[in-house]
Amino acid sequence: MRELIDKLIVNYPYVAALIIFVIGAMTVLTRSNVFKKLLGINIMESAIFIMFVASGNIRGGSAPILNGNNSEALFINPLPSALMLTGIVVSVSVSAFALALILRLYRSYGTTDLRRIALMGNEVADK
Amino acid sequence: MKDFILKRIASIVLPFICIYGFYVIFHGHVSPGGSFAGGIIVGLSFIAFSTIYGIEKGRKKLPEKVLVYAESYGTLWYGILGLVGIVKGVPFLANKLAGIDMGAPGALNSGGLISLIGIGVGIRVASTMVTLFFTMMEEEK
Amino acid sequence: MREMITTNLPVFIIIAPLFVSFILPTLSKRIKLVENLVISVEILGIALAVYLVSIILAQRGMPLIYQMGGWSAPWGIELKAGSLGAFFALAIAIVGLPVALFSKGNLSVEVGAEGRTARYYTLYLLLIGALTGMALTNDLFNVYVLVEVATLSCVGLVSSQKRPQAAKAAFRYLILATIGSAFVLGGIGFIYIITGHLNMGFASQKLSDIWQNNPRVVWTAFSFMLVGFGVKSAVFPLHIWLPDAHSVAPAPASAVLSGLAVKGYLFCLLKVLYFVFGPSLMQVYSVHRILVLAGMIAIVAGSILALAQSELKRRLAFSTVAQVGYIILGFGLVNTKGLAGSLFYLLSHAVIKSALFLSAGAIVNVTGKKHIKDLAGIGKKMPVTMAAFTISSLGLVGIPLLSGFIGKWNLLLGSLETENLLPVIVIIAGSVFCAAYLFPVIRIAYFEPAPDNDLKDPGLPQKIALILLSIMIIVLGTVPGSVLELANRAAAELLAVL
Repeated sequence: MRELIDKLIVNYPYVAALIIFVIGAMTVLTRSNVFKKLLGINIMESAIFIMFVASGNIRGGSAPILNGNNSEALFINPLPSALMLTGIVVSVSVSAFALALILRLYRSYGTTDLRRIALMGNEVADK
Repeated sequence: MKDFILKRIASIVLPFICIYGFYVIFHGHVSPGGSFAGGIIVGLSFIAFSTIYGIEKGRKKLPEKVLVYAESYGTLWYGILGLVGIVKGVPFLANKLAGIDMGAPGALNSGGLISLIGIGVGIRVASTMVTLFFTMMEEEK
Repeated sequence: MREMITTNLPVFIIIAPLFVSFILPTLSKRIKLVENLVISVEILGIALAVYLVSIILAQRGMPLIYQMGGWSAPWGIELKAGSLGAFFALAIAIVGLPVALFSKGNLSVEVGAEGRTARYYTLYLLLIGALTGMALTNDLFNVYVLVEVATLSCVGLVSSQKRPQAAKAAFRYLILATIGSAFVLGGIGFIYIITGHLNMGFASQKLSDIWQNNPRVVWTAFSFMLVGFGVKSAVFPLHIWLPDAHSVAPAPASAVLSGLAVKGYLFCLLKVLYFVFGPSLMQVYSVHRILVLAGMIAIVAGSILALAQSELKRRLAFSTVAQVGYIILGFGLVNTKGLAGSLFYLLSHAVIKSALFLSAGAIVNVTGKKHIKDLAGIGKKMPVTMAAFTISSLGLVGIPLLSGFIGKWNLLLGSLETENLLPVIVIIAGSVFCAAYLFPVIRIAYFEPAPDNDLKDPGLPQKIALILLSIMIIVLGTVPGSVLELANRAAAELLAVL
């Protein structure tokens, strides 16, 4: 038990990522408001980003910029951070696209509640 | 909008924000930041302009046609620079292998094609941000 | 010149559609030019894909390895065009052309104003490029990025109609697909954390050495990948976004979504399972059993749900859920016959489902009626459309001499090899179900009195597209020859790690 707790404390970024991931997933799955769903997705993705970036981190390491006088220094692994930059760009485009769709939904249904939209689906369609 | 102070301040600050964005784009390969971050700063300067002075004036500064061309050719630019490698007989997206001068590390004219690619990406990101803003702000026709 | 094309073939195949898609938005006023550009780039795609396949066959399955920017494997991004990649690239090319032809001159009916047509084609070519990239890439993070590009273009295609339901279906699809990509990215993250590699070959080697140190992490990575790609490729309990999205999209878009996009994610799952984890790890964790079980459930449940639908396009969409079951089942058989059958079925379903969706879309566009019971007598009014529909339904059911049969036959042989009778029964029962939900459409269309109003087949490009697809179904069924050989080689390539 003690060992487990120690492990969890040492690896706290992963624990945080797990908790944030679950919060995000719960928000997406249980909320019917489209904005909350979108926020939930962003939270989920942030959790994954945290996990990735934490995996490249070395405690006490510095940013891997070579400038001639720090060739002996301890560097963190820059690859996960660079990958997550791409991930963030993807997540931004998903959010932008989702917002555009939300606008369209709101203009045609007059509400941002997905449950109500599902109920009135056919009436709007028949018009 | 009749907010005098906001407009005055904006007219002083916005050009510098825009130039700062370009600075970040051009120094993307030697300092933190990069073409994505810089492109967003440039885009934000135009978005701020449109929110302060009204959408119509913003549209006049950046007509739809310019935005579409910037978006399309910004991306195409990346691909064309990738083809440089193939033309020189080395793999796609090759940089040093394609015989391009890499310069001294840390200098502005270093990194070969990377800085050029960065410019294309920056323009693309800026125009995409502005397009997104305009699409969402304007009522559907 | 020829040497340059040969060495750079994997890159050209991917960037040709992407380059064209980038410049399409600037041509939004000149629709004719846009359409011809798209069709010519698809023809170029077929030429390149056939050339790639011929090279791979001539080399007896030796893969073409391409190092982006000249950086060698563990550091750089690698493209690997083996039998498997060439097979899927071929599938994309031969389905892409008829779909592009079908869209010619016909899109304004469904998509609306001119600017929207150019945007539609941009998304379409982005999707084709991303799928070809998935076929050839050998890098895990590349898989994630391409999956995201494909997802966003799919959602864009779904939302390209102006109807409010399109936005609703697209939003649901976007939310679920993004949950899927979060899971996929998580899975990639776990693999990267324990192996330190993103290149599939290196990750696989490292994984087989060290998986015993972190058995639970490997297990988590497995489940993240299964759930992530499962949501995206509509494996049965995770399929809920599919019927709405596929039935509300314009006809060519639903053809390419059902025919290719879903297959792309399945293909990525296959690559990750076999090239990264490897067949032996799959057996250690019993993942192959999960796949077979999920496949069987999907076949039965998807078929029953399809039977319950009264709208033509929704019935076809649920049928996709059932057919995905066959492919997943084949992935879990872990033997050459089963995998080759699964791959061949993937190709044949891509062709057949595109033909079905295109003809259904043509019927809906001409008659304006969505429900099956309203289609009485269509067969006499629209002979070409209905003939294509009939041939492809027969192919989907698995009548001999049509392409679906060869896939199902190899799947059957593969499941007999595992000495488990249940998949065999389910595969045969699935065919019966398939006949039960598709043949009534044909009966109503041909044997019920025709309406009086004047209905006609769609225009020439549409007819050519339907005829091309029907010919492909027959050719793949009668002389599968080198395509089947390529599928066999691909299966051998997948199992080589064993």
